[in-house]
Order: sequence, then C-alpha cells, then structure tokens
Amino acid sequence: MTVLAAATAASTLAACGGGGDDGGGGTSSGDSGSNEASDIGITETSIKLGAHFPLTGVAAPGYSEIPTGAQAYFDCLNEQGGVNGREIEYIYRDDAYNPTNTSQVVQQLVLEDEVFAIVGGLGTPTHSAVLDFLNSEGVPDLFVSSGSLLWGDDPETNPYTFGWQTDYTSEGKIIGDYIAENFPDAQVGLFLQDDDFGEDGEAGIREYIDDQIVAAERYTPGNTNVGPQIAALQAAGADFVVGFNVPSYTALSQLTALQLGYDPQWFYSNVGSDPTLVGNLLNNFSEGQVSDASLLDGALTTDYLPTVDEPDNPWVQEFQRIWDECGGEGELTNYRIYGMSQAYTTVQALQAAGQNPTRDGLVEAIETAGSEWEGPVLAPFRYSEDSHMGTAGMSISRVTGTTTEEVAPVQLTDIGDAEIEAYDGEPAEVPENGIPDEESVVD
Amino acid sequence: MQQFVNVTLTGLTEGMVYAAFALALVLIWRSTRIVNFAQGSMAAATAFIALALIQSGWSYWAALVVALVSGFVLGAVIERVVVRRVEGGPELNAVIVTLGLFVAIQAGIAIVFGSSFQSFPTPFGLQGFQVGDNRIAFTPTSLYVIVAVLITMGLLVALFRFTRVGLAMRASAFGQEVARLLGVRVGRMLTLGWGLAAVVGSLAGLLIAGGEFIYPAYMDSLIVFGFVAAVLGGLDSPIGAVVGGLILGLALSYVSGYVPRGSALVNVSALVILMVVLLVRPGGLFASSTARRA
Repeated sequence: MTVLAAATAASTLAACGGGGDDGGGGTSSGDSGSNEASDIGITETSIKLGAHFPLTGVAAPGYSEIPTGAQAYFDCLNEQGGVNGREIEYIYRDDAYNPTNTSQVVQQLVLEDEVFAIVGGLGTPTHSAVLDFLNSEGVPDLFVSSGSLLWGDDPETNPYTFGWQTDYTSEGKIIGDYIAENFPDAQVGLFLQDDDFGEDGEAGIREYIDDQIVAAERYTPGNTNVGPQIAALQAAGADFVVGFNVPSYTALSQLTALQLGYDPQWFYSNVGSDPTLVGNLLNNFSEGQVSDASLLDGALTTDYLPTVDEPDNPWVQEFQRIWDECGGEGELTNYRIYGMSQAYTTVQALQAAGQNPTRDGLVEAIETAGSEWEGPVLAPFRYSEDSHMGTAGMSISRVTGTTTEEVAPVQLTDIGDAEIEAYDGEPAEVPENGIPDEESVVD
Repeated sequence: MQQFVNVTLTGLTEGMVYAAFALALVLIWRSTRIVNFAQGSMAAATAFIALALIQSGWSYWAALVVALVSGFVLGAVIERVVVRRVEGGPELNAVIVTLGLFVAIQAGIAIVFGSSFQSFPTPFGLQGFQVGDNRIAFTPTSLYVIVAVLITMGLLVALFRFTRVGLAMRASAFGQEVARLLGVRVGRMLTLGWGLAAVVGSLAGLLIAGGEFIYPAYMDSLIVFGFVAAVLGGLDSPIGAVVGGLILGLALSYVSGYVPRGSALVNVSALVILMVVLLVRPGGLFASSTARRA
C-alpha cells in the first residue's frame, strides 16, 4: 500500500510542477519530498474539508450563501493547482440551524465522509452541539462562523477549535465605546438574541455604557412575533437601539417598528446588518412602503471584512473576479465574501501545516503562525497557544441607501479588561490569483 | 399604558391568526373526525402558489382566489387518493398518514419553490393607525385579518347549522353506516369536507403570510398554536376556535411582553394553558356534549 502511494505521489508531483510556476502559491515548500496520504481526509491529490450551514429555515437567508462563496474560492484555487498539488474537496451539509441536525451532519462528515477538518461550521447553538465531539475525536475545527467566546478562550479544553471572526464581546465593547463617545445622551435599548450571541454582546457593551442602557429585550429564534419586545423598548423610552440579532430579525424588528411608528437610531451588530439582504427580505411588501433597504437608512453597523459596496477595494475586486469565474448563480454578496475570506485563511493554515499535513500539525501551524497572517480581514488574528480567538478589530459604518460609509476606523480590543486602541496596520495586499503563499512552519 | 395597549393589540392580531388556522382544524374534525396535521403544509403550498402568481404580476386578490381554489383541489385530491385508503381503519392510522403528508408536502414545496425566505405582500398597509400622538400596533392588515376570520367563522357556523350539506357532513362524520342508510353519499361528503377545510386552511395560510416572511416550514409553529386554540375551544365549535385563538394569542403576547425572557417561554406557556384547560374542562371550553369520545 505504501509503495503504491509513493508511486502515485511521484507522478502527481511531476504533474503539478507547472502549477507552481504560474500560481506561485501552490508548491512553495514542496521540494522536500513527495505527497503522502498523511492523515484522515488527505490523499496524495486531495484534501477533504467539511462544514455545516443552515441552507434552509429561519437562519438560511444570507448564511446559506457563505458556503457558495467558499466553494467558488476553492474551485478557483483547484484550477491553479490547489494546495501543494492537492485539490480541496469541500463538502457542506444543511443543519437548518437546528443543533440536533448539526450533530447528525457533523458525525456524517467525520465518520462517513472522513473529512480532514471541519471549516467554518456556522452558529453558536448549532456548533456548541458538536464542540465536544470534534475535540474528543481530534478533528481540527477551524474558523467557526460565530463570534461566541466558546471557540477560542479556552484552548486547553478545546484544543482543536479555532474562532475566526471578531467575538461578540469585543464587538460589544467597540460599539459601547463608540456610543459613549458619540451619543453620550442616548437612552440605549438592547435587542438581543436569547443565547450566547446576545449575552456576549451585552456583556461587552455594558462595560462601557451600563448607565445608558434603559432596557434589554430578548427574542427567541423561531418565534417570529417580536411585537412585545419592540413595544417594550419603545415604552422604556429607548431612542438608540443596539441589535445583536440574525438578519431575518433585523427585517422583523424594522417591520414591527414601522408598525408602531417607532423610530430610534438603530445599530445592528455585524451579524444582522447586511443592507442588501434585509432589503431583499422586505421587498415584496405593499405599495412601496417598504420598497428597498431604505428602512435601514441611517443605521449603524460594524465591519471586520471589506464589503461589496467598496468596489475599489482590491480584495473585493479579486473576490468579484473569483465569483465571476468560479461562482454559481447570483451576485457576489457580503456573505460570499465572508465565505471566500474564510477559505483564504483555511488555505493559509493548510500551507503552514506543511507538505504532508496532519491534524495535530494543522493546529500547531495556526498557533505558531496564525497571528502573522494577513488577508482580507481588517485586523490581525489573536491565534497563539493560549488563545484560539480570531480577529480582534472592527470598524464602524453607517448605512446610506444600499451602501455603507465608514464613520470610525478599525479599532482593536480583546476580551476581559483589554483596552480599545486604534489599529495602525496597513490593509494587506492581494496576492496573485488571490492565493496566499505561507511558509510551512511544522516540517 | 402605551406598551399595554400595543402588547394587547399584537396578541389580538396573532390570536386571530391562530383562530383562522384552528377553524380549518375544526372544520375537518367536524366533517371527517380526523385531526389533520398536514393542514399547515397544505396551506403553505397554496401560499407559495399565490406568491408565484403575485411575483409574475397578478393582483393579490386574483392570486388569493387561485390559491383558495387550488387549496380545495389539493384537499379533495388528498382525501380521495391517500386518506380514503385508511378511513374506517383505526383512527390512529389516519392521523399518522396526515403526519407523513405534512413532511412530504413540505419537502415538495422546497423542491418546487426553493426554501429561501420571502416576504409576502399584503393588500393593505403595514403602518399602525394613528391614535392621538402615537401609532398603535394595529394596522390595516390586522383589520383585514380579523374581518376575514370573523366572516369565515360566520360562514362555517351557517354551513353546519342551517344547510342540508352541513348536516349531511356532520352525519357522515358521526356515523357512516347510519348516514348511508339515510341516503347521504358519505364518500362525497368526506371529500367535500377535506376540500372545504383546505380552503379555510389556505385562507389562514395567506392571512398569516401577509406582511410576514414565508418559507416551506413557516406554518410549523402555527400548527401547534392553531391546534392548541382548536382544542381550547373544544375542537368542535367554530366560535370556540376563535375564542380559543384569542385567549391563546393574548396570553402568549403578555408572557412575551411582560415576563423576563418571555420570548423563550412562549411555547411552554402554550403547553401550560392547554394542560390547565384540559384538566379543568376535558372537553374544551366550548364542548357541546361531554359524553362524546374525542
């Protein structure tokens, strides 16, 4: 078996020499040996990755586009020779944002499909259900699509799990600080999803403006009647509402506020704020009352990635090219940019894990080199042996029509007592073909 | 005070929506003695048909009519083709079949229309009425829902109480043998019952959808609440269904609005209300006779 593997590996290496010349990224450290089937999910010619996303149900709007973006990125990457001559085989399954389904599809991915790693699994309640399973099986659990602290603040308990996006507490801190400085007289109401997402965000925001908060209302995902919650915020006299909610609840809260004639300053955290999506959700309603994203006009939000309304941003241009060449139906959206950016970090990790990656080697690579990686993400990651938290910074922007304009530049912080400080780094340059070129740090 | 008014009005409108759905369950129960769990999926299917028509340029009202007609056809066809095979057997068989239909139809909708969220238009406004300086949580759309449900309830009461068809339907449901001996064409009555119930269900589905978002499973929570409302009202009485719907809608709205973290307690509260009512009055609030086995 080993002999056979070595024989095929030799021919594979010969075949991908050309890819290395024009791609630049693929085979940088490939001169030290040949490709081997070094771990579960890795063959000489392929790497199998798995993911779970809500493709149907209440969380599907927007989120279901994330894996299509990642898929497009991997397809274009594969055309350029993949990672060290291995094509990425990306399998994503629908869990409908239901933790019971998540357990089932992730077990299927790990035990039947035998993936090398899980990448970008989405959702706090959903991914919590598989956290123990993945860590006890020793399956790398990269870049969870959620800003919960669970993924990164305790690497001893969960050594295989890594966060990716800015955590909700850091986001809450940055939002709270911004309100304290720019809206010191605002009476703030909180509109929170009733789980870790809302709790983490609330904890962060209360560190800065606890005395300004007049009400905190929670909704349960799946219960689409938010009338009582919005009415309570209105009754409490909140003239500034911060929402830590998913996109469909942005639409629902706007709709309910319209019904009540309630018009506070809205601030939606990054998760729920995509103006295009919210506009599409609202676009069928009658007589042009809610014709487009105009309802969100003037709302504030946060960013940790470039967005589609920045057509001059070189990352957006590159992602546009990738979507045009390798994507499926529909337009490039912020969710697809998210998926592509996550795929980009995944490729950085795989490159850093060396020519013949192992599951443990992949974890070591991220801990060793992850904090150095640059890419589309606005601020650096916090990866180390002691922290598996993702990026730490955010900018703040205001929605105007269907676009956004920046009102506060990128700021950095961390969980706990960490101060908020301005980020002075430059935006990273886009590598050729949008493919990173990281050195191996394990072999 | 303003909050109390708004929470109450929200509950009232939601309650009417539950009532609409409960009416469909009551209708099918009265005419066939089956609890139809597929009702929600069937209604969702017709709502998606209506949305497809509206998106291709039809008016809301024309689409509504087509949806109701397709609801009737769907109900009649399902009764003739599927449910007829298990009628007369153990009661549980029919119920399980409707559960299977519920899943199958929902999957069918996802295949045909996709599973994404879509907003559903309403012919009336979504902004609350202005009272003094404030807008209240009562919109022209809420008014439309309430009026439509009350008219439907009136028609159902009239159908069962004052028409020969209604009498024949009830007879077929109660005692097939006896009804047949008396000259009632039982098979036709059962088909008619399913068809009419599907029309009411379809109407409920469209009323619920108006000004909200629909996706293949959007009726799921309403099946539960609609069922609770119907049972509260005795499962046999159109007026009971509406009263049950209102009680449930108001109670859940108060829980959601005034209990800390109330939104998470809504489903549990529905269960508690159901249990309490069944303990106190096992036949439901509007049960006409206690001797009947339900």
